[in-house]
Amino acid sequence: MSFHPQMPYGTPQWHRSERVLADEGPPFAFTPENRQKLEEIASHYPPERRVSAVLPALYLVQEQQTHLTGNAMAHVAEVIGCSRAHVEDVASYYVMFFTKPVGKYVLQVCRTLACALNGAEHVTAELCRQLGVAPGGTDAAGEFTVMEMECLGACDRAPVVMVNNEHWHECQSPEAIQALIRDLREKGVAALTGCHHTKE
Amino acid sequence: MEKVTFTIDGRQVSVAKGTTVLQAAIEHGIQIPYYCYHPGLGVDGSCRVCLVKIEKMPKLQVSCSVVATEGMVVDTRSPEVVEARAGVFEFLLINHPLDCPVCDKGGECPLQDFSYAFGRKESRMEFPRRTFDGEGVRADVDFGPTLMLNRNRCIMCTRCARFMRDVAGDEQIGIIDRGYGSEIATFREEGVHSVLSGNLMDVCPVGAITTRDYRFKSRPWDNPNAVDTICTGCEKGCNITVWIKAKPEWAKGSQLARITPRYNADVNQYWMCDIGRFGYHWVEGAERLSAPLVRKADGALEATTWDAALKALADRLGRADWGGVRFALSAHASHEEMFALGRLAMALVGDAAQSSIGVGWNVSAKPQAGATRFTVPDVDAPNVGGARAFGLVEGERPTPTVASLRAEVEAGRVKALYVLDPGPAGAIGDLSWAVAARKDGRLPLLIAQGPVATDVTRAADIVLPGCAWVEKDASYANMQGRLQAASQGILPPGDARDDWRILADVAAALGVPLGYDSAHEVRQAIAATLGSEPAVAGIAALEFRRPAPAATWLQASNPMERLKWDFLFQDVLPLKFENTRDPGHRAGEKT
Repeated sequence: MSFHPQMPYGTPQWHRSERVLADEGPPFAFTPENRQKLEEIASHYPPERRVSAVLPALYLVQEQQTHLTGNAMAHVAEVIGCSRAHVEDVASYYVMFFTKPVGKYVLQVCRTLACALNGAEHVTAELCRQLGVAPGGTDAAGEFTVMEMECLGACDRAPVVMVNNEHWHECQSPEAIQALIRDLREKGVAALTGCHHTKE
Repeated sequence: MEKVTFTIDGRQVSVAKGTTVLQAAIEHGIQIPYYCYHPGLGVDGSCRVCLVKIEKMPKLQVSCSVVATEGMVVDTRSPEVVEARAGVFEFLLINHPLDCPVCDKGGECPLQDFSYAFGRKESRMEFPRRTFDGEGVRADVDFGPTLMLNRNRCIMCTRCARFMRDVAGDEQIGIIDRGYGSEIATFREEGVHSVLSGNLMDVCPVGAITTRDYRFKSRPWDNPNAVDTICTGCEKGCNITVWIKAKPEWAKGSQLARITPRYNADVNQYWMCDIGRFGYHWVEGAERLSAPLVRKADGALEATTWDAALKALADRLGRADWGGVRFALSAHASHEEMFALGRLAMALVGDAAQSSIGVGWNVSAKPQAGATRFTVPDVDAPNVGGARAFGLVEGERPTPTVASLRAEVEAGRVKALYVLDPGPAGAIGDLSWAVAARKDGRLPLLIAQGPVATDVTRAADIVLPGCAWVEKDASYANMQGRLQAASQGILPPGDARDDWRILADVAAALGVPLGYDSAHEVRQAIAATLGSEPAVAGIAALEFRRPAPAATWLQASNPMERLKWDFLFQDVLPLKFENTRDPGHRAGEKT
């Protein structure tokens, strides 16, 4: 930076960090509707605590463009009025913020105790087999992403799968998950009922 | 102030109400290790090494976040505490690379010292260490224009993140990821871009953040001397310590190893800016003047002796009309130099002396966040306060007064211009008009006094080499009007002389001696004439420091001393000043 005194640093031999960064991405700005939504959410917090709206703002970004990019995080920082490092700090802390592109449907299979005991791993394996991906991967069509998550809070109806941070599909089994994928492919988001099955 | 009295290791201590147990222990020299606590940054409670046992509390407590209360009984040495603390150290060192032999912090590292004092002898960890950016120095990655970051060494105390958030007011550092994978990082690895970035090296308790300037340059024990002085980069007057490398006189290379801030509650707290910290290289740069220069008949400047230069000056100036002599003074000049110049002007110009001196300095806005708690002032000169005390500039926020001088010079009414600028090149502000006037003959004689070759010295007829601030004892008044002493750390190069002495020599050569034999006499004369002025009050009694062996600190890997030292090199009295070394002052000069 220009205000720093000139320093004879010698030959630069240092290198960049190997930290995996989110893509820079295309230029990003909230759509007017999302911007309005954000302001509405931010109004729930006291003005001096506007920074608290970072989490909902990041969710809004994911609604708008599926995953977080460098430009999107910079835009959130600007809109919220906090530093960009703070936004990256928050976004990297929580696993439900995606810094890599994901499919249209993100299928998150719980793998914590209750679900694991009820065979969540078979659900994951079946999902991966059906879609031809590894856990964490996205299928070739860019439609489905399979992820293993920690407790989703529906232990009494294990194993549970959450789709797009919103819709629970409970009491899953390898067979039921096949039906879910088929429904999603045929009916789209309409198949996402957020259903709460009762245990048979 | 309300006090509370409590017992710590069987000792009754009395501290101000609201003091934490850790602060009380540090104040009373009781050994408790700590990392995340820093007196300038406050309590975080994330490192967990300052564990102590407090009676009637069920578990061990982190002393940094327990406020001392009346009658509390604290034990820092019970077997329980010792074992728990060693356990925490074992965890801190699980992933620490222990590359102390190649780490810049080695020898002055709190992690090293406290681990020796409080940690286990060996680790029980059998697995490979987690690495972030590769092994060894390969892991040193770019962290902005001044810093390097090694994440493997980091112990996640978050001092750097809190410094940027709380002191710089610009949260550029965050903690990326979580738990085991946490790392200190800036947004998209763009690095820290702050005028306060150098302080991150100071607050880092391990070798994770190092400055590019000091990197691989010297080991702490290669800097055997350190002198407590002040920075003269701007009107803030930060208190600093200048570290001086061991170097025989004939060896090449620089002596100044680095500059670190020194605690002063009223001026700079624990911090300093990068401009002062890294901008000292000109002192030992290639542009330094080491001998007087006189312009010969063929137009070339030629190095000569002081006698010859002063004789040439007396010849040239003796022929000029003394009433037409004018002075351009940089606000980098100390009280002594301003006063001596004032006396010289009085002898030459007479009653109009004050109006014959134009004072110049630079003003530049520093890019800082509005929320910063450490503002770097715009005025890039240390002694505007002095210039005001001597009546050379006026007003609450005085402006440079070279404009009228410039008009006179450009009108060709000035017979000789004497430029005194003890600062780095260009510190006096724009003097290109004087250079132009000398070149086209409107200015018959240009005399330049200063430490570095500049456009002015290149155009001058006579050049007198002066000292940089770290080469002389001098006093300055900062923006608060506070009188501070800048002490000599190293010797000036070649024949360069202390600036007040050059002025005295010039006066003597012109046959109007000022009658001062030492800087102390100049200060006494200032006290006698201007003693009531707050900016110079007490100047005759000002104490100057001498380079003191830093070994007294480094040998004290005895954490008792180091606890104090970790307060960022603040004074460790009386050890530091007893064992002084004279840097070769001229005989007879009182210091």
